[in-house]
Amino acid sequence: MPQHASAGRGSISVDHLPPDLTRELYRHMRTARDLDTEAIALQRQGVFPAYVSVRGQEAAQVGSATALDPDRDFVFPTYREMAAAQAHGVDMVDYMASHRALWHGGLYDVAASRFGAVNAVVGGPVPHAVGWAVGERLRGDDGVALAYFGDGASSEGDVHESMNFAGVYGAPVVFFCQNNQWALSVPNDRQVAGGSISARAQGYGMPGVLVDGNDAGAVHAATAEAVARARRGEGPTLIEALTYRVEPHSTSDDPGRYRDGAETERWLRRDPVTLLREAILAAGHADENALAEADAAALQEARRIRDGVAAAPEPDGAELFTHVFRESTDELARQRRTWQEEVEL
Amino acid sequence: MAEENVTFHLPDLGEGLVEATVLDWEAAVGDDVARNDPLVEVETTKSAVVIPSPHEGRVVELHAAPDEVVRVGAPLVTFAVAAPDRPAAGIVGTVPEEEKRPRRRVRLTPPGE
Amino acid sequence: MTELIEHTTGTATGPTVELSMQQALNRALRTLLAEDGDTLVLGEDVGALGGVFRVTDGLQKEFGADRVFDTPLAESAIMGMSVGLAMNGWRPVPELQFDGFAYPAVDQIVNQVARMNYRTRGAVPMPITLRLPSFGGIQAPEHHGESLEALFAHTPGLKVAVPSDPGEAYRLLLQSVRCDDPVVFMEPKARYWDRRPVELSEPADPIGTSRVVRPGRHGTLIAWGAMVHRCLQVAELAAEDGVDLEVLDLRWLTPLDTDGLAASVRRTKRAVVVHEAPLTAGLGAEVATRVTDACFGDLAAPVQRVTGFDVPYPAGPLEPQYLPSVDRVLLAVQRTLEY
Repeated sequence: MPQHASAGRGSISVDHLPPDLTRELYRHMRTARDLDTEAIALQRQGVFPAYVSVRGQEAAQVGSATALDPDRDFVFPTYREMAAAQAHGVDMVDYMASHRALWHGGLYDVAASRFGAVNAVVGGPVPHAVGWAVGERLRGDDGVALAYFGDGASSEGDVHESMNFAGVYGAPVVFFCQNNQWALSVPNDRQVAGGSISARAQGYGMPGVLVDGNDAGAVHAATAEAVARARRGEGPTLIEALTYRVEPHSTSDDPGRYRDGAETERWLRRDPVTLLREAILAAGHADENALAEADAAALQEARRIRDGVAAAPEPDGAELFTHVFRESTDELARQRRTWQEEVEL
Repeated sequence: MAEENVTFHLPDLGEGLVEATVLDWEAAVGDDVARNDPLVEVETTKSAVVIPSPHEGRVVELHAAPDEVVRVGAPLVTFAVAAPDRPAAGIVGTVPEEEKRPRRRVRLTPPGE
Repeated sequence: MTELIEHTTGTATGPTVELSMQQALNRALRTLLAEDGDTLVLGEDVGALGGVFRVTDGLQKEFGADRVFDTPLAESAIMGMSVGLAMNGWRPVPELQFDGFAYPAVDQIVNQVARMNYRTRGAVPMPITLRLPSFGGIQAPEHHGESLEALFAHTPGLKVAVPSDPGEAYRLLLQSVRCDDPVVFMEPKARYWDRRPVELSEPADPIGTSRVVRPGRHGTLIAWGAMVHRCLQVAELAAEDGVDLEVLDLRWLTPLDTDGLAASVRRTKRAVVVHEAPLTAGLGAEVATRVTDACFGDLAAPVQRVTGFDVPYPAGPLEPQYLPSVDRVLLAVQRTLEY
């Protein structure tokens, strides 16, 4: 089991996984990595006002998201789940629109994507997962809700209340904590009393699993087991995927103020994409040529998404008023006329 | 002096060229270069040219190895350059631009006195 | 990162320092921590990082991690803990990182902080100053551009301060923390980088007083926070047309300076109140009513409001269409002139 003080083992194994699954994991992780690199560049070029990198968390996100059925299950993300969105099949141009500030929640269809809107209030969407999951049970359906949150959000009351609710209702929820060890500038030892997020599961009557968050196969297996358990009606699971935020909190952050670069260097050497690539080769699930092809395809996809989001039109000002209500009001119509007369003029 | 990284992307070195091959780097990671110091020799279908450094700063990363083909617009080299003296944004968002004189369309009629 | 550079120039009356609002607030916190050993600064990332807008920069190093400390990420607990600290004789200055993150703490702010003194018949004061980076204008993500002033102004037991420039930020923060009542101190994010000369010895006006930032004859623009700057821009433009506008910075939203408002509008006979928050049930309605009640016979036109729309605060490109523009304010002024 990886310890907080170390960067864990130097290699992973995917021998136990189906070859096509490992290639799928690799394809998504590689695409997310390339898209992340493009996104940071877009911020530096002034296209994005700011960006939050997922670098180093691709295994935690892709490993877990691929354990879901995108036609039955529903994901409740916060704001750093780009790789999960990619793996879940979300339209990534529309997802990245959130980072270009074209629309706060992103422009993708949340209902059809079965992937919640980008949300900055961490912890806020976690109770939604419980409600959605209880709703599945009430209807007799077998969908599973997966809520992503971080080590920082694990301090929020909403997260604890949600775990208690899920335990009380036996709701089919996977609480998936990406413990990247830094909540902006605050490290785990000043965030998580007792040192373990997964240990909290016991108090809420559910299994708690600690998994190496940089081992895509391990994350996938742990999540698949939790999803299967939930689908069988056996209730929620809390998974803590231990990983690391190798990039600053956001493109405007300066981690030199609060953390030791040597720690980051250690985790950069334990890059989840590289680990998976080496494991695939070692397992004989693909050869260099096949992976090089996957790399090229991922880069091409990342650039397609980059170009798409960079070229996307800005929203029309009238959209200020479009979605406030389903049944809009006379007052809002009046204010829209004011906008037309005074802002559009 | 604060620094920031700036990445230089391969420009179109001739009418409509789409790529170039890196022949030889004239600077290495860690080198301090002056603006217009020879940076890299690249070969296009038309010619071999030396690209002068577009920045003064320290070379942080070379994005292509010799003999590698680089597409126009792809990152070529990243420099650490002295950050301009401007305020740092908060953790999210941008520093708003100060309008010297805001654009206006509305004109007023003074009250009769 | 640009370091916090301060340029000091001596004057006859006292040290004048050119400071951004960030630096002025930092300066005020340093003064407060130095003068009163009971003052504590707490919140997410206020320690080593120095706050997400660098307002608490260097304070932990100077005053130690017992007096300037990071909390886990839980806004309700930050405010609830501040209540307990205050009950035990401390003077907490909590920061909630962004306006939208104050909502999870509203229970503690409204149900506990605001009424503890009342509930305990004065036995347990709440000398808490909640610093809250507020309002829009920086192209931030969702929940980072909210205007909560009406909610807090509507909560009995809270005082609400909104500085509009670095000097005001310095003086109002000193006043707020020294005050034995709870103050919600709303810092206009869009003005954090605004640099002005600040006279550090300048005494503060009493709590609850507004200030005339620019005198004028033909009408009063009433605003707080970043909209004061917007109104000053409007007044400059109006002057080109021969219209002389007064700009009044309300700065204390509770207590509200009805006398100051009335004194200005009685002279100018016209009033336009400008705020970023949505129109309906916004504080502009309260201001308009106070002005109308006090100056009904003197008014040349009904009080106008120029506000955000009744929509959730929008993403970057739509910000300029949501926030009151100079043209929208000018149109409102014109309505009062033509009435």
